[in-house]
Amino acid sequence: MESMKKDTKAQWIALSGLVISLIIIGLAALANQAVIAGYHSSNAVLEFPKDNIRELNSHTRDSAMIIKDLSFEINSTSNETIPFIFEQLFDNYSTQMQALYAVHGETVDVSLVSINSTNGTFGINDIDLIFVNITYNDGRTHYISEPEIIEVR
Amino acid sequence: MDNKAQLHTLEGLAAAVLMTLTVLAITQSTMIVTPQNSLAVNVQLEQMSSDALGVLDMAPISLVQYNLTECVAGWNKTEATYPTIKHEKLDDALWHLLPGLLYNVDFAYIENGNLTVEKVIINGAPGDNSVVSRRYVTLTNQTVHMMDGGWSLQDDELKVVEVRMTAWKV
Repeated sequence: MESMKKDTKAQWIALSGLVISLIIIGLAALANQAVIAGYHSSNAVLEFPKDNIRELNSHTRDSAMIIKDLSFEINSTSNETIPFIFEQLFDNYSTQMQALYAVHGETVDVSLVSINSTNGTFGINDIDLIFVNITYNDGRTHYISEPEIIEVR
Repeated sequence: MDNKAQLHTLEGLAAAVLMTLTVLAITQSTMIVTPQNSLAVNVQLEQMSSDALGVLDMAPISLVQYNLTECVAGWNKTEATYPTIKHEKLDDALWHLLPGLLYNVDFAYIENGNLTVEKVIINGAPGDNSVVSRRYVTLTNQTVHMMDGGWSLQDDELKVVEVRMTAWKV
């Protein structure tokens, strides 16, 4: 037994085991960091409501054109003015959007601010811009565009 | 008796135990790999399905047979049943845009102040990692009439319809 204690040559085996273990631990720590970074970036992409906000904007723009055309169509068979009909239709659109977004736990508000006309009259070629306030809130992300200027000519 | 070899054996055993414990610790600490992979797939899936609805909505009429508004306007208001009845026009368009994916589509809209959700395409039960994309279209009586759809709208009425697509990989 005494001779075993004196022979220290094989200590290298244990030492190299320790070194290899430390290297593996270091590499594992790096790999884990990369994995956690990937997890957080993927999670951030899924959490942020980019598409919902973009869709709210682009659909409001598309609908403004539809509302303008429909306003003139209604005006041809009624005594109501174009701005009045436009406002009624836009309110209706806004109410439906609020309800449809609320189903997903999101609060939106799309309200008409003003209708801009090139010469003060409301002919089909005179209305060029409308000003709309758009807000979006899902509890984490709050988006405001006041006013959103929409070209409808 | 040569005691030297015994010491080598003992120290080799100690090194082996050390390395085994290290590998065990690493295996335990990298369990987070699984959700990371599934989240990355979800991101890609959500992007693809959102793009498919976007392309169908925005594409010029020369590029697609029917755009999203026309597909929705042309719906005959018959709810889908698996596997026979579905909205053929919309299904044909989406099938080409989403190769290798399965999807269900619902239409959600407000009728008499209440939310109505109707199934228009059913391709099966969504998987665990399914994602939901949505797009909105606005219908008027004119567009419905043009596409010979089953919606009942007044001449002065607007109907906002949410196209809700649940997509998953098989």
